[in-house]
Amino acid sequence: MKSYVLGEFGAEAALLDAARTLRARGGATLDLHSPYPLHGAEEALGLRKSTVPLVALVAGITGAVSGYLLQWYTVGYAWPLNVGNRPPHSAPAFIPVTFELGVLFSALAIFVGLLAVYFGFPRVHHPVFEVEAFRSASIDGLWLSAEVEAGDADAVAAELRRLGARLVSVVPEGK
Amino acid sequence: MTLTPYLGGRRLMTMAAAVGAAGLVVTALGAVVGDPRRVLYAYLVAFVYWLGLALGALLLLGALHASNARWPVVLRRFLEHLPAVIPLFVVLFVPILLGRGHLFPWVDPHGLEGEVLHAVEHKKPWLNVPFFVVRAAIYFACWILVAHLLRAWSLRQDAVGGHDLTRRQRALGAGSLPFVALTLTFAAFDWMMSLDPRFFSTIFGVYWFAGSFVGAFAVVIIAANATRVDPNQFGAHMNTEHFHALGKFLLAFTAFWAYVAFSQFMLIWIANVPEEVPWYILRIEGGWKAVGVFLALFHFLVPFFLLMNRAITRVPGRLAKVAAWILFVHWIDLYWLVMPHLDPGGPRPSLWDLSAFVGVGGVTVAFALVRMRGTVAVPVRDPYLEDSLRYLPQ
Repeated sequence: MKSYVLGEFGAEAALLDAARTLRARGGATLDLHSPYPLHGAEEALGLRKSTVPLVALVAGITGAVSGYLLQWYTVGYAWPLNVGNRPPHSAPAFIPVTFELGVLFSALAIFVGLLAVYFGFPRVHHPVFEVEAFRSASIDGLWLSAEVEAGDADAVAAELRRLGARLVSVVPEGK
Repeated sequence: MTLTPYLGGRRLMTMAAAVGAAGLVVTALGAVVGDPRRVLYAYLVAFVYWLGLALGALLLLGALHASNARWPVVLRRFLEHLPAVIPLFVVLFVPILLGRGHLFPWVDPHGLEGEVLHAVEHKKPWLNVPFFVVRAAIYFACWILVAHLLRAWSLRQDAVGGHDLTRRQRALGAGSLPFVALTLTFAAFDWMMSLDPRFFSTIFGVYWFAGSFVGAFAVVIIAANATRVDPNQFGAHMNTEHFHALGKFLLAFTAFWAYVAFSQFMLIWIANVPEEVPWYILRIEGGWKAVGVFLALFHFLVPFFLLMNRAITRVPGRLAKVAAWILFVHWIDLYWLVMPHLDPGGPRPSLWDLSAFVGVGGVTVAFALVRMRGTVAVPVRDPYLEDSLRYLPQ
């Protein structure tokens, strides 16, 4: 059984400090929520290098290769078409579709991948939204969320208060 | 910020001027003792290469003003100096004017026949010597005027400060873009496309622009990296994010060059119209095919994947190496654009290619250093300089 401990901070420095302290303490999966990008958030959360570029590259190459093969198989091999007396397998004519499919696969992989990884799709609702005050994360609030074992929640909540959170809430998961 | 005006570079300037003069003398001798036609073609490649870089910088400067960009203020002064070399190219244009008969088949239609003769006669209202000279004068006047005003207003701002001159630069920078873009396009038509009077491609000027524009970014990157150790120069005041931004632009416009190159090729190849295809048949058959493949691989594919790496774009020394490579392949690109009309069978490199390249390049660099002397390397009283210095993209 997991719980989410939420804390709202008044200043960036305090928020990042709290993230560093809790990360050193261990036992919690941390995230930060703010209305604008926070410099130093990656370092404070100890995030590894993103895998998004690799996913985009692999998907892009897959798309480009399948785009080319699709054209080669249909127009160049299975049903050769004579268009303006050009050879059925005409690489220059295949490039635009190859490029477009590379971009399409890449974009779709990032879109679907982010939905799945960051938002836990098919989950459509996240426990942090149970807290009414959390709305300020998209207006002017700086929030830290810690996913912890239920038994540890009170200790983490106390720690967040000690670190300067002006508002702390605990949301048990799965109600 | 207070900077000492740039006074040094005397050694560099003398060296560049000496190399340039030597190159030009060797090239001129080549025209006397060797084949003047070959020498003039080599000279034309060098001319459009170095002039293109200056024009790329002028368009970049205009584009940055048009977009109200604050981040590049720290490196903008260098971009103002680069187009200030264009007056030199009025002088350097004289050999092309004198050697026009060797370069352009439309100058003297005697001996032409068939469709080439027909094209020359059909295009006579445009392709004739007096109008050619008038047009060149218009192009140079437009470029020199815009480059001079943008630089002069920026330099005056160093003394008086305020927002007024910034507003003027932004208005002229944005307003000049269509004029500079159109004159550049027609210059490309006149000086390179008309080497084959049959050929026409509306994107041809954009092709010259695309290569020159990415080249202008490369020049800025190399200069910024080289001046990182000198606190009186702009490179020393740039942070990692500035270099990263330049690296991203280098990547974007490398891709843009490939896009334009491929668009022009694919549309002409697929339409297969008799007036247009000979220009490409010349370049995709025989010895020039290898050059075209080289360009696709090393002007696009390899730099494209290299520049995707933050480990390169965020390290100035490495980025400068890629930029130097871009400048090299850009020269190959223009060589491939011009020379097939001289050597239809394949590339036949000669000493004059090198001498013209370092000749025009040497005097251009020397003249650029002359223009830089006595000015500070950063627009010190630009109201947005502070924003630029703490540039940190979100």
